[in-house]
Amino acid sequence: MAIRELKVCLLGDTGVGKSSIVCRFVQDHFDHNISPTIGASFLTKTVPSGNELHKFLIWDTAGQERFHSLAPMYYRGSAAAVIVYDITKLDSFQTLKKWVKELKEHGPEDIVVAIAGNKNDLGDIREVPMKEAKEFAESIAAVFIETSARNAVNVEELFQKISKQIPPLENPEVESNESFKLTRQPAASARRCC
Amino acid sequence: MAAEELPSEFDVVILGTGLAESVVAAAFSRVGQRVLHLDRRSYYAGNWASFTFNALLTWIQEHHEESQPEEVQDWSSLLEEGEELIYLSTRGSSSITNLQVFCYASEEDEEEEAPNTTEEDQGGDDEVKETPETESADSNEEEKKQKAGGTPAEEEEEQASQTEGEEPTTSAGQSQSEPTRKKISFAQLVKEGRRFNIDLVSKLMYSRGSLVDLLIKSNVSRYAEFKNVTRILTYRDGKVEQVPCSRADVFASRQLSVVEKRKLMRFLTSCVEETEEQRAYNGRPYLEFLCDQKLGDNLQHFLLHSIAMVTEDTPTEEGLASTRHFLRCLGRYGNTPFLFPVYGLGEIPQCFCRMCAVFGGIYCLRHSVSCLLLDKDTNRCKAVIDSRGQRISCSHFVVEDGFIGADWKREATPTRYLSRAVLITDSSILPSDSDQQVSMVTVPPIAAGCPAVKMVELCPSTMTCMPGTYLVHLTCQSAGSAYQDLSPVVTRMFRTPESHDQESSPTVLWCLYFNMADGSGLEGEGHDLPNNVFLCSGPDAGLGHEHAVRQAQAIFQKILPEEEFCPPAPNPEDIVYDGDNNSPSTPGDGETLEGEEEETPEGEEKVEGEEKEEKVEGEVAKEEKVEGEVEKEEKVEGEVEKEEQSLQTEE
Ligand SMILES: Nc1nc2c(ncn2[C@@H]2O[C@H](COP(=O)(O)OP(=O)(O)OP(=O)(O)O)[C@@H](O)[C@H]2O)c(=O)[nH]1
Ligand SMILES: [Mg+2]
Repeated sequence: MAIRELKVCLLGDTGVGKSSIVCRFVQDHFDHNISPTIGASFLTKTVPSGNELHKFLIWDTAGQERFHSLAPMYYRGSAAAVIVYDITKLDSFQTLKKWVKELKEHGPEDIVVAIAGNKNDLGDIREVPMKEAKEFAESIAAVFIETSARNAVNVEELFQKISKQIPPLENPEVESNESFKLTRQPAASARRCC
Repeated sequence: MAAEELPSEFDVVILGTGLAESVVAAAFSRVGQRVLHLDRRSYYAGNWASFTFNALLTWIQEHHEESQPEEVQDWSSLLEEGEELIYLSTRGSSSITNLQVFCYASEEDEEEEAPNTTEEDQGGDDEVKETPETESADSNEEEKKQKAGGTPAEEEEEQASQTEGEEPTTSAGQSQSEPTRKKISFAQLVKEGRRFNIDLVSKLMYSRGSLVDLLIKSNVSRYAEFKNVTRILTYRDGKVEQVPCSRADVFASRQLSVVEKRKLMRFLTSCVEETEEQRAYNGRPYLEFLCDQKLGDNLQHFLLHSIAMVTEDTPTEEGLASTRHFLRCLGRYGNTPFLFPVYGLGEIPQCFCRMCAVFGGIYCLRHSVSCLLLDKDTNRCKAVIDSRGQRISCSHFVVEDGFIGADWKREATPTRYLSRAVLITDSSILPSDSDQQVSMVTVPPIAAGCPAVKMVELCPSTMTCMPGTYLVHLTCQSAGSAYQDLSPVVTRMFRTPESHDQESSPTVLWCLYFNMADGSGLEGEGHDLPNNVFLCSGPDAGLGHEHAVRQAQAIFQKILPEEEFCPPAPNPEDIVYDGDNNSPSTPGDGETLEGEEEETPEGEEKVEGEEKEEKVEGEVAKEEKVEGEVEKEEKVEGEVEKEEQSLQTEE
């Protein structure tokens, strides 16, 4: 089965649970005091989708969004963006629109947008009605789902929904002048013989 | 979101997000130092930035409006016992001058084809559009038709490449010299502005240069993708020609005679190692050495201007050194020595900033440092005061040199400048089978006393310009203003309202000239600031990035001589959140990780797209082949013989 790499970037206010969602998805682990994602350029997880394997490269904001200083390279080549808000914080939902706008300005044109209302285990102190969020998501043709990183609710589903939105590879033939990543191979070439 | 307060204590505070500063930031953060990285501007990378078309227009606007006298706020109330203030320049000195913009595209779309120009229409691959016959009424076209008579062959070739893949349209093909291209208007450039990533600097990455090595070593290379520069061109006798530089090129070349091919291969083979004969020329011009090799004008031009990329009076040892560097870089990734990052060079500083951030560095744009707090006794910078009046203590301060007033700099050397031009054109300077070429073009002085110009032409697949256009960067050491230095070259090689007889040349739609201070003048030591303050200079004139990387490394090693400079970041697969101690295992944690890194450097890549991996291996094989063959002269000779025969049969 062909493996397809998909870059997914996470957006959303601080404290909404971005890192917790990634951690739940990638390592099925939840921590109440998750520390900032030190040293993780991105985390990866591979899931089957149709007759492809989708390898998600999940990028977390890492200290750049805190003071509104996300670099445009963060969005480059993203297949999808997950904008997370906290259902118990109306503020975090209101800033969604700002992130959508930011994506429009800096993100790739064909990016799949997913909106995740996180912490839905805290329904008793909910501030954002599900209906309102869902309607907003529909209005911008975004995937919508409520999640709980804590209770492992809908986290897998979030990424499955994204997978479904990713259009199948049009042209598996690689163009001859395609761009590439730099790797360590030149050093390796010396011992390739063995 | 309310503005959060910054933490008030860091190991290193860095002001400016240019390449050197960003590498420094990544290096410190990577070994566990607490880094605060600030930039006064609203974008990353300072003079290394790349802009969308619209952002570039804004940048130009801002530079035109230039400085209202800056208000210096008095922070002396924040002083403590035994402290002294040094004010920084709040704007940064004017490293950009002589901005001039020319728009040759029409303001609006010329004909009303209203509902057709939707967004989808612009996208994708339909960059070539049919032009209705009516457009020949355009005066330009008319003039062109009259003059175009003499060059039927060129015309045909041009048409062939342009109409490729389209249904043959006889009417268009016959009546117009450039039939199928719809003229792009200024309005379209603005509308498609996001597809541009226009670099302020124009450099390339040597495939075995220090930047590529650093990107790979540190794993920062994961954040970006690259393209090969696909061909080296040169301008000679009024024509653009391809320079054969790889073995394959040499054999495929149509300009070179068989004898020349043999001579060139022999020369390239022989200069890989230093010989007695070469040493005899030390101190004398490389040109003299080349002359004495009896290579002929063709080869001499290629070798001097395009391969060594030096001037006529460069000494032989230097010329040979750059020739060797060029040859060493061939074949690592492609047929030329150079790489170019997708989305432009402005990505590279951002990639290092990202590395800094994932190791805990804090980023804040639109935020500056107003002054430094000096400890009078130790003459060290203890803290900085930011533009909001917050006191932030730090052990070291690294700053883009533009923020430091001239009175602190030791050498009062007059600042040198680079001359830059950026053109958006409608076709390639040398049309070929593929319309997705990335070209390095060397333009020797067009007249005595004129500067040698380096030109890079980027195609849309580098994601730096919209489909149907090319982005051309010109750079030289400035003698006069950018316009004075470069417009003669532009007028000769491209079609502008000022040019004559350039019917087959690309049309310039829009162009920008400016001068930028040349960063190579400054070396880290040349200032009287406290010894824990370090300066980073802006972009230099060199084609590669060695200057900035060297500077960053020197600063790092001065402050932390014991620490490794940018060790590899762990593979994403190796990061494990540890439930017990609440923190993800960090790369500093153990040798095992580093060890693993060494042993399975390709662990990640293996899982990555298979095609890619295969391609990379293919390139390695190619690389070995090229190097191997350059070393074995006899074999090369043999192949020339073979080639000769096949050439003859071809004819
Ligand atoms: N109850 C509950 N708490 C959650 C959930 N997800 C995350 N949290 C908590 O919310 C807090 C913030 O989570 P993070 O994952 O660090 O949030 P973040 O969006 O990555 O925050 P920044 O990295 O600061 O931008 C932590 O204390 C988590 O334990 C959830 O689904 N339910
Ligand atoms: Mg986080």
